[in-house]
Amino acid sequence: MDNDIIKVKIADLAVKREPGIIVTIGLGSCVGIALYDPVNRIGGLAHILLSDSAQFRGRGTSINKAKFADTAIPFMAREMERIGARRQHFLAKIAGGSKLFPNNNISVGEKNVEAVIRTLKEMGIAIRGQDVGGNYGRTMRLFVDSGKVLISTVGKGEKEL
Amino acid sequence: MKAKIDDNMLDVLKELANIGVGNAVTSLSQMLGEERINMDVPVATLIPLQDVPDLLGGGEVAVAGVYIKSTGDMDLTILFVLSLDSAANLIKSLLPGANGEMDEMGTSVLVEVGNILTASYLNALSMMADLRLLPSPPQLAVDMSGAIISTAMAENYLIQDEVVLLRTTLSTQERRIDGNIFILPDSDTLGKTFTLLLGSG
Repeated sequence: MDNDIIKVKIADLAVKREPGIIVTIGLGSCVGIALYDPVNRIGGLAHILLSDSAQFRGRGTSINKAKFADTAIPFMAREMERIGARRQHFLAKIAGGSKLFPNNNISVGEKNVEAVIRTLKEMGIAIRGQDVGGNYGRTMRLFVDSGKVLISTVGKGEKEL
Repeated sequence: MKAKIDDNMLDVLKELANIGVGNAVTSLSQMLGEERINMDVPVATLIPLQDVPDLLGGGEVAVAGVYIKSTGDMDLTILFVLSLDSAANLIKSLLPGANGEMDEMGTSVLVEVGNILTASYLNALSMMADLRLLPSPPQLAVDMSGAIISTAMAENYLIQDEVVLLRTTLSTQERRIDGNIFILPDSDTLGKTFTLLLGSG
């Protein structure tokens, strides 16, 4: 197995110093958040499932921070700082939040994107690129040496953020 | 209410799935014209949420998925997932002369098959367990399997980090159709359902 490729599952996150790639596949209504410190060349990628952890607190189960927008992003930022990143350099690229099933009334994807943008704003992190919404799934790759993010789809080509 | 899911519960779910899927496969067999359809015994498992998108070969594989949400006494999500080859073969089987493409006719065939399979499944479940189940109209997505499964989970606001999953695979020899039926019961309503079924909390 190639040590330079880290796979992030659903409700999961990973941080890494250059070189290498962090990848998460099959973002539907989920949102992928890439944070990057271009000075120290440290990146992080999170794959969140839901927007808000608040409604799930106090149910007697511990919360997986990587599952929710409002908890995953601050947690990932701290993990990046622990390996030497500095918050003032952080920039973000986001992808996902689509609506695969067109007739559903509530769009989980939309709510997820809103929550991610709100959380990043609260943390003072600028969004440098986004590919969100639509009705198709995405795979997201963060290249930790450059901060480049590559989005691939089924039948809709590739896009660089 | 938070359900404590144990082996006993999984056994009951498995039995329900068995009957439901048996019915569904009979319907499919009738649609395809008396063809023999092989069905695996449904597997009921409690698996980590994170592993679900990988169940269909890596998460990035393109598949056709019909999604149905059922509410009522028990909230269930049902996904009927086919590889693109199988979807094409299914369309060709039911639509003589079609080339198997995912055009308007093709997609409506898949949606209808999903509808019939799900209705048979839910009817069996409803009769046996005396549950009122109200399915929503089916919806089709052709995309990465991981995206389809995770979106279906997110639509249910899954709380737990482990999900109950009932899975059946079915296959036809002659027409080479392999399908997966996934049933995701909402863990929040499982406890309620078992109170109804077994008469105890």
